[in-house]
Amino acid sequence: MPESSKMKKPDVKVVLLGDMNVGKTSLLHRYTEKKFKDTISTVGGAFFLKQWGPYNISIWDTAGREQFHGLGSMYCRGAAAVILTYDVTNWQSLAELEERFLSLTDTANLDCIYAVVGNKADLTDPKAQRPQETDVVSEDRTECEEDQTEPQVTSACPTPPASPASLSGLMLHQQVTHEDAVAFYGRILRYKGLDENNSLPAEKMCFETSAKTGYNVNTLFETLFDLVLPSILRKRNENQESPTVDLEECRGATGKRSRSACC
Amino acid sequence: MKHCRGSIYNKFPFSRTVLNAPDHLHPAAGFDSEQIHSDQPSYTVLHHGYVNVCLYVSICCLQRLDVLAEMSVKAFELVPAVERDLLMGDKARINIECIECCGKHLYVGTNDCFIHHFLLDEVTSPKGKPSYSSQKLLHKYLGLKKPVAELRAASALERLIVLCDGIVFLVDMVTLETVPSAAGGGAKIRGVTAFCVNENPVSGDPFCVEMGVLSWKRRTVQIYMVYEDRVQLVKEVTTPEQPCAVSLDGYFLCLALATQYMILNYNTGASQDLFPYNSEERRPIVKRIDREEFLLAAPGGLGMFANAEGVSQRAPVNWSESVIGATVCFPYVVALDESFITIHSMLDQQLKQTLSFRDGHILEVFEGKVILASTKAVYVLVPLPLERQIQDLLASHRVEEALVLTEGAQRNIPKDKFQILHKRILQQAGFIQFGQLQFLEAKEHFRKGQLDVRELISLYPLLMPASSSFTRCHPPLHEFADLNHLAQGDQEKVLRCKKFLISYLGEVRSTEVANGCREDVDTALLKLYAEQDHDSLLDLLASENACLLTDSVPWLEKYHKYFALGLLYHYNGQDSAALQLWIRVADGDLEDHTRSDLYEYVVDFLCSCSNLDLVWKYADWALRKDPTIGVHIFTKRPGSKDQSDLNPDDVVTYLGKHSRALLLYLEHVVLERRTQKERFHTHLAVLYLERVLSLLSESSKNEQQLTRARERLQALLRESNLYRVQFILGKMENNDHLLLERATLHGKLEEHDKALHILVHELRDFPSAEAFVIWASSCQDSAYRQRLFHLLLGVYLDRTLTGKSAAGVSSGDLEMAAVDLLNRHGEVFDAVRVLRMLPEGWSLQLLRPFLGRAVRASMHACRTSQIALGLAHSENLQLLHDRLKERKKPILVSEKKGCHLCHNTFSEPDVVCLPGGVPVHTHCVAQRVRDPPTKRPLTNSSNHT
Ligand SMILES: Nc1nc2c(ncn2[C@@H]2O[C@H](COP(=O)(O)OP(=O)(O)O)[C@@H](O)[C@H]2O)c(=O)[nH]1
Ligand SMILES: [Mg+2]
Repeated sequence: MPESSKMKKPDVKVVLLGDMNVGKTSLLHRYTEKKFKDTISTVGGAFFLKQWGPYNISIWDTAGREQFHGLGSMYCRGAAAVILTYDVTNWQSLAELEERFLSLTDTANLDCIYAVVGNKADLTDPKAQRPQETDVVSEDRTECEEDQTEPQVTSACPTPPASPASLSGLMLHQQVTHEDAVAFYGRILRYKGLDENNSLPAEKMCFETSAKTGYNVNTLFETLFDLVLPSILRKRNENQESPTVDLEECRGATGKRSRSACC
Repeated sequence: MKHCRGSIYNKFPFSRTVLNAPDHLHPAAGFDSEQIHSDQPSYTVLHHGYVNVCLYVSICCLQRLDVLAEMSVKAFELVPAVERDLLMGDKARINIECIECCGKHLYVGTNDCFIHHFLLDEVTSPKGKPSYSSQKLLHKYLGLKKPVAELRAASALERLIVLCDGIVFLVDMVTLETVPSAAGGGAKIRGVTAFCVNENPVSGDPFCVEMGVLSWKRRTVQIYMVYEDRVQLVKEVTTPEQPCAVSLDGYFLCLALATQYMILNYNTGASQDLFPYNSEERRPIVKRIDREEFLLAAPGGLGMFANAEGVSQRAPVNWSESVIGATVCFPYVVALDESFITIHSMLDQQLKQTLSFRDGHILEVFEGKVILASTKAVYVLVPLPLERQIQDLLASHRVEEALVLTEGAQRNIPKDKFQILHKRILQQAGFIQFGQLQFLEAKEHFRKGQLDVRELISLYPLLMPASSSFTRCHPPLHEFADLNHLAQGDQEKVLRCKKFLISYLGEVRSTEVANGCREDVDTALLKLYAEQDHDSLLDLLASENACLLTDSVPWLEKYHKYFALGLLYHYNGQDSAALQLWIRVADGDLEDHTRSDLYEYVVDFLCSCSNLDLVWKYADWALRKDPTIGVHIFTKRPGSKDQSDLNPDDVVTYLGKHSRALLLYLEHVVLERRTQKERFHTHLAVLYLERVLSLLSESSKNEQQLTRARERLQALLRESNLYRVQFILGKMENNDHLLLERATLHGKLEEHDKALHILVHELRDFPSAEAFVIWASSCQDSAYRQRLFHLLLGVYLDRTLTGKSAAGVSSGDLEMAAVDLLNRHGEVFDAVRVLRMLPEGWSLQLLRPFLGRAVRASMHACRTSQIALGLAHSENLQLLHDRLKERKKPILVSEKKGCHLCHNTFSEPDVVCLPGGVPVHTHCVAQRVRDPPTKRPLTNSSNHT
């Protein structure tokens, strides 16, 4: 009997955070459906279950709107990875990450990993403009896309107006450099009280992507999934171990669950 | 798709503003997909804005039509349960405040402090439409002059828990009489603003009910136990702010505080903030929907899910800002605002249905039954049968949603029933996608739904075998009569569908999907392959298959796939039919260009054909067409040691009239298979000879051919020892052309002198003579060899003959030949004898190489034997030495001691001592000396254990 993936309990959670319009929904779309299509401003939040080998990973798309800001902490609760997304053409969107979104991650797992992702790279980087090979779709797929897009036109809303921040002046449209992102990553580690030397390096965790062309999108998600796997395994072990380990530990004098033994 | 969710309100901002219009102007009026329910219309409102409203309405109608066509599912139907008349008659100021339903018992609390008790019966109309009839049993005034704020049944206690005027107290469920306080404790709680009943209490006592209570101006939640006649405070926990709504599951309190929601474990005191919410702006909603899971009203009109750990495991649904009540009727979230009931799926968060409902006031779910109340009347929201909802979705080709709904229903349906339903829906979904040429998706659904592949095959005209007993399932899985109907004449589409079926059948034919219908699958595949000129046709037929002959024959003939048809015949054991067909193609009577080498194929086929009758029958055809290739039938047969296989004698007889083939066959038998039968060797020799003779007799000789023919003959005569020499010799006696052959034959007869005579004197071919000697002595010992060389030397030097031999050949030639022979093969000769034979006059210089070698050879022999002698001497000495040494000590022999050579014991004292003093039996040593086991000197044997 094929089980529907939709009903499975996720093993691990990945959360997309960032200001509205930076392209979080588009990124998730691109990754899950291999297409770029019109999005409507996300209301509240949405999630997608990804089967990764034997594991289920839930990827939460959050709403960047101020209105839903209060929900952010809840979405981040227990997250194994957080993708902090900004728009490479919008400096303010990076600033917002630091000002508004970083604090939401307080509820994430202690060993949560953070990725800083500059989306819309196609607007600034010629490399990111070509459609990505990995996302080439089969013939049949292309067709169903065509078939589907038509009726959707009626329901899809026009692109929402640009965020109020972007109206307020040229400064904010200034491009965000990779160095800015790396510097921000450093500040994330400091905020979390993490030692730079014992954490994942900024070069590995700062991405530039384009949901429009697919540039770096698979890489982003797959790198993260590979990094959170240990977290999944530990969670699974914890769930399984408890009944057996207790018996063992009754005999030993060490007491309850001394973590230091492993890892 | 997911992201279309909730767009309805963003897009249609007008819809809310106009809904106070009279019913007949209601935007939803006239839509099937939307039910209109409202209380008795309040026509008094808005008469003045009539024209404007009309305008709005029409715009809205148009816009909503789109949305509803796209979005709506009919998941629920709103059915009146208690009408206004029954409750309050025409008393305009009386409103419903709260309801409770418990089995068939419906309790309604009103603002005039009454509780009404109804019996609610579900009646199904003949058309299958659900409806309710209600009967009023009782009503009772509670005497407090205040509205009845909350009612909860504790059916095990036969009590209703009532909140009225800030007081919680108990009334009897039947009589509605207030329960007096018991002697031990009170049955009243005062100062209460809200309470909730724990539907999943940790304590298992069935005769008490756990209740969470919020009190006026207190930052606490109190946990009470409610008994038949008393309530008892068991726990009190403080909260950071004044709580205003509560829900309870296990130990977990889910609370709406003034500025946020939180989860609080009343047992441990642990708390978890959820998210901020301003309870002054909007009425909070806290609804337990499942074990440790709650539904909350969030900012922005969201319905958020949260579990006891404070984690959201489902994406939120998008309500309006003014939502009043919400609940879950799996898999739907039902919400009520001031004008609508909205129904979202919990599975994909999409808005599925909107029902108009005015003056909505209460929305609750009791034992799975969703009950709503306006201020004046009570309704039941009846879910439509799941299957109907799913079929509706499929009918509008909303495959994804239909599947989500089906799969979401898994936990509500018995397992076996679910599986049947799920499979069917998957199959239907597959066909919808198939119809849209979304083959990848279709295939996946067919696979998951374990589709009977014949359902698909039967869509294609003529593919199902005529004999198949298959009938399409009923009700049908799709709306297509057949492929033509589906494609509407678009040949491109038809072709793509066929290509799909080809790949699909190719994939499933060897899996369990094809179990029980392999014949249908393979036959259909064969037909498609043939029709589409597909390469795999041959692979299909050449390997295990279940293609039906009766259906396939005419089809393959139609498409001129005769070669393939032959394969099919062959697969069905009808090799004769296959061969007949192929022969007709090879002869050009039928046209099929599948194989240009069909003739060779037939030969191969016959070659490996085990039915000898067929081989005999068709070999003639093959041999006539090309004897060289045709003979492969006999020569290339797989090496079976099977006795029943072709007998070479029969073959030879059969090939009588095909001389060329016969020759090839005999060559095969003699030269390759190395038969030991004289018959074949002789026969082959005769054939070779005849060939040579016939070439010789031709007037214009083809030297090259002749040379080749003779070489073959000579080779055979030389190599084979089995032919009848005399017989062959008889056939070439006196033939001057075949001297070499004759010499060989004499050689075979050991008549070396005759042979050499022919070679030397008649043919005068000295190299051949020398070669003959080497050949004739090749497998013999050196004496024989020497004899032959001497013989040849003798022939060379025979003066009597030299004189007589043919003119023009000087005896000098012969002498030179003799010298060459000696010089080249000096080592073979007995030099002394040679010297005696040689004529006196020959110079030493002439024979230098021979003599030199002869002298060196004899020196070598002399020295070698001297060395051997010396070695033997020394060994002898060594042994003597050992013997002397051993003699000094006694040799012990007893009956318990074994002989080292035979391991038997000694029975008598006579023994021989091996070097090292090892005693052994005399006879053992004697035997050992006669045939030593190894070349090892005996001394070592003393080391044996
Ligand atoms: N050029 C470009 N536009 C993008 C890209 N990703 C998203 N967008 C556009 O940015 C807008 C906002 O995207 P959306 O995914 O809704 O952002 P979200 O609010 O973060 O979920 C939409 O108009 C998208 O078409 C990208 O990679 N390149
Ligand atoms: Mg979004």
